[in-house]
Amino acid sequence: MINTTSHSIARLLLLLVLAGWSTVSLAHAEVGVAGGLVSGLLHPIFGLDHLLAMIAVGLWGAQLGMPAIYLLPITFPVVMAMGGLLGVIGMPLPHIEIGIALSGLALGAMIATNTRPALWIAATLVGLFAVFHGHAHGAEMPNAANPLAYGIGFVISTGLLHLTGIMIGLLIRWPIGAVVIRVCGAVISAFGMFFMVSSFGLVS
Amino acid sequence: MKLLRHLILPLLVLTFPEVAHAHLISTRFGEFYSGLLHPLTTLVHIVPWLALAMFASMQGKAFARRTLPLFPLAVGLGVILGYSLGGYQDVLILNIISFVVLGALVALSRPIPRYAGLAAVLLFAISHGYANGDVDLAHGSLTLYVVGVTSAAYIVVTLGAGAAATLSEKATWGRIVLRALGSWILASGLIYGGFELMGISGA
Repeated sequence: MINTTSHSIARLLLLLVLAGWSTVSLAHAEVGVAGGLVSGLLHPIFGLDHLLAMIAVGLWGAQLGMPAIYLLPITFPVVMAMGGLLGVIGMPLPHIEIGIALSGLALGAMIATNTRPALWIAATLVGLFAVFHGHAHGAEMPNAANPLAYGIGFVISTGLLHLTGIMIGLLIRWPIGAVVIRVCGAVISAFGMFFMVSSFGLVS
Repeated sequence: MKLLRHLILPLLVLTFPEVAHAHLISTRFGEFYSGLLHPLTTLVHIVPWLALAMFASMQGKAFARRTLPLFPLAVGLGVILGYSLGGYQDVLILNIISFVVLGALVALSRPIPRYAGLAAVLLFAISHGYANGDVDLAHGSLTLYVVGVTSAAYIVVTLGAGAAATLSEKATWGRIVLRALGSWILASGLIYGGFELMGISGA
């Protein structure tokens, strides 16, 4: 009797333990407001080409100083949203991958060489690249996700990546920090070059 | 066999649950909570309301003091209009425009004529109230629902404007943070507007 009862309990416990180890099935990923928000937040982070370019914008802004430190990160999301609109309405943008790769390559090179153009030139350059990034985000929105939440997610994520770049860029107040920033720029530029070569299909 | 009985009986009981009424959302002041939560849990309302709060604080304390009562009262009026004359979907385009206009005003951080600012506050408050009022309350109390939405508007605009004013006064980078947030809201509004124009609805 005791033996039978303990077997039953053991079976129940085993079932409970197995149930406790269940993993998320992700059968309904990217659905609704929460899905859209998470999807939008993660989209720029999981794409290394996006991530490095976003950080480069903040980094370059910090290197250029006031008012570029805040004007560039304010310009980028607004123009990116306009690019996103083009993606949403399905307007094709030629050589989009090359444009995104070029953003990392060019912005990284600007930082590495400590190039200081006029503010309007810097803002125009950043805005131009933002169109490519926005188009990619807009065109790749998951169908089931809440579009507003997705938009808010990727705008917040982009802004936080700019902030990361700015935080790294604050090292500029120390001479060694200025060198570190330029090295970061060179690394971003090198990745940009790699993405560029990849977009031409020369490496996989 | 015993085990089966012990499992089947609880399972059978579980298949006949009764509503607990543990939360007042469906009883007594239910419509008040419903009205309170409707805008607070809807991105299309809460985001531009926060932008409006930031805009009000950036226009100066005199402007903010006028906005604090004007906005919730106009939202309440909008709810009554929405409930009485619901169905005009074209009015809701103003809610999309509110994202863009308020986000841009915060991002630009420029003073605008007081009457123009208050007119914008009034217009957007009524359009957002209208959207909140276009609901089916069944036999619920409209008064409680209106008070709920109005309270939500007051809470958001008061706390938001207070936080924004404190941030821009206490921290040297406070106004920059607000402008950056404004640009984010503007960007989100542009994307949202695009999706709506494409007929991909979502809030």
